[in-house]
Amino acid sequence: MLSDTPPVPRQGKLHGEPIDGQCLKSLVEAGLTWLRTNQQIVNSLNVFPVPDGDTGTNMVLTMQAAYDEIGKSPERNFGKMAHAVAHGALMGARGNSGVILSQIWRGFSRSLDNLEMMDGPALVHALTMARDTAYKGVVRPVEGTILTVSKDIADAAQNALKKTDDPAQILEVLVSAADESVQRTPELLAVLREAGVVDSGGKGLFFILEGMLRYLQGQSLEAAVATIQPLAAMNMENALEAIEPGQDYEVVVDFHPTQPLDIQDFYGELEKMGTSIQVGEGDGIYRMHIHVSTEKRYYPIDYVMSLGTITKVAMENLLAQMEQREEPCGGSQAKLPQVTIEPGQIAVVAVAPGMGISRVFNSLGAAGIVEGGQTMNPSTQEIIHSFENLPTDKIIILPNNKNIILTGKAAAELTVKKVAVIPSTTVPQGLAAMMRLVPDGDFDQVVQEMTNALDDVETGEITWATRNVEIDGVEVQEGQIIALLNGKLICASYDLEQTCLTFLQKAHAEHFELITMFYGNNVSKAEVYKIVDRVRTEYPRQEVEVQEGCQPHYQFIIGVE
Amino acid sequence: MTEEITPIGSIHVSPRAVATIAYHAALETYGVVGLTSKNLVNGLAHVLVKDPTHGIVVDYDGNEINVDLYIVVEYGTRIKSVANSVINSVRFQIEKALGMPISNVNVHVQGLRISYLD
Repeated sequence: MLSDTPPVPRQGKLHGEPIDGQCLKSLVEAGLTWLRTNQQIVNSLNVFPVPDGDTGTNMVLTMQAAYDEIGKSPERNFGKMAHAVAHGALMGARGNSGVILSQIWRGFSRSLDNLEMMDGPALVHALTMARDTAYKGVVRPVEGTILTVSKDIADAAQNALKKTDDPAQILEVLVSAADESVQRTPELLAVLREAGVVDSGGKGLFFILEGMLRYLQGQSLEAAVATIQPLAAMNMENALEAIEPGQDYEVVVDFHPTQPLDIQDFYGELEKMGTSIQVGEGDGIYRMHIHVSTEKRYYPIDYVMSLGTITKVAMENLLAQMEQREEPCGGSQAKLPQVTIEPGQIAVVAVAPGMGISRVFNSLGAAGIVEGGQTMNPSTQEIIHSFENLPTDKIIILPNNKNIILTGKAAAELTVKKVAVIPSTTVPQGLAAMMRLVPDGDFDQVVQEMTNALDDVETGEITWATRNVEIDGVEVQEGQIIALLNGKLICASYDLEQTCLTFLQKAHAEHFELITMFYGNNVSKAEVYKIVDRVRTEYPRQEVEVQEGCQPHYQFIIGVE
Repeated sequence: MTEEITPIGSIHVSPRAVATIAYHAALETYGVVGLTSKNLVNGLAHVLVKDPTHGIVVDYDGNEINVDLYIVVEYGTRIKSVANSVINSVRFQIEKALGMPISNVNVHVQGLRISYLD
């Protein structure tokens, strides 16, 4: 150590203690634990089109294999232990990032043959070897990935050695170098820039190193609840869906803390005030999000003010927002709450012809909604887009229109995900299928169940005739209101109510239990109520449900089941 | 080989074009250090040849597209994981570019390259 550097007081666990094989074991465990704590953050950074699925999970499994190899080993020799870690990582390497991670460990251990204790120069040399080995593994290294981060770490280590040879201090430098390197990855790799994320593998490597440092500094590694997300990943619409009674206000505060924030304490204080707590960080600015009751709506602001400088406050009355959303048709742009899909679950994408119908599909758990229907068929691209970012590869498409089934099938062929298209030709069929969705079920079985459900429902579509025609023995004049039963023309009249009633009669609604009527955007509410009242009188034994469908062209879409 | 008839003309994509896509996808996959000929008569002399279809066989029987890749992998990587990455990446890139589904991507690991001796 250079004599002119002032001694820095530290309470690090490594201070003065030898860094032997057992110490490496603890560090690997800490890296693994912290990576696992932050696994979902790493997973959420996945950019389509990267066919290699869940980076966080793959890296955790690789590190787990590495740790399993040494978990029970009493070895005190650092070099031998490092070799065992590398061996474990190699055997358990999963996915692209896992393979690279195992190469980094392999390179790291290479220069340490039989080294008893780790010291600064040996650490720096090992990191250089780690970088070289990682780069050897590919003909065309892609920059802006975990490879770049490994390179920046090695460079930073070399620079740090000029100032200190204490491994703990070097590790501190490495963690901040890794952090900066990860933040720079979007500058190097266009796909990251476009998706607005940093590289997931690089971020995973950062968490491993940070976990080691947190261990040395005696910080918690299990702070799974109290996590800080990248600011960009903080999705406010996501938080909206869970509105608990009594928690009427959403408060979002951006602030600069005057002192480093203890995230555990911060969460602890906020939990006393409200629910749905989220904390994000980016460029030194923290964002706090919370749902609180009306009386407590200023509490979080006062509390945050005591911690630092507030830059922005946003407060919204969630109740008012809810009511707003229930206004007629709410505009097609109104956002739907996001359905959360866990990796490995089955996700459904539904094509819906109107906002109201979209909402119903959404409330039943459809993870993706594509607007489309008669005369507005969505493109293959739109369908792919609706599911490509979902964190699962099991996808079911409900086209809900016979013209869109083929588009759905084309979409299924253009992706690496496992996609099944259920040939639903109408909205009620799609909804019937949706009721059978078991997100955690066996894919083929769920597809079969959902397909079977299509026959459980009779569909009626009530619309205008756009020209004079005679089909299936029914004569239709332009301007008449016609009814289709499962796609077949069955009746026509000049009166909407009359057409609806004739349809229900022909569909033998009296033998069924439930009549669901979705009204379109071309019919007035007064008229809807009048017709529904009439239907209820005619079919007293059936349950009649009315839903706002907002679909164009069709006055009513009716499901009878 | 792959054909599409549209109202304004037809589109043909040669196996060589498909092989070029596979070549690039494979070489960008971590762990792959080269492609080599199917018959390893000349040893590893062919590793890293510049011909963008070398070591790749694209087969189209009018119905299915099958791609075979003959690769050299870096010694010390987990071969199964690398091969899986190659399959994913090649399939994805071809399907994205071609808009046609690929039936099979088969990876043959023809050799390992040793950069360092452990």
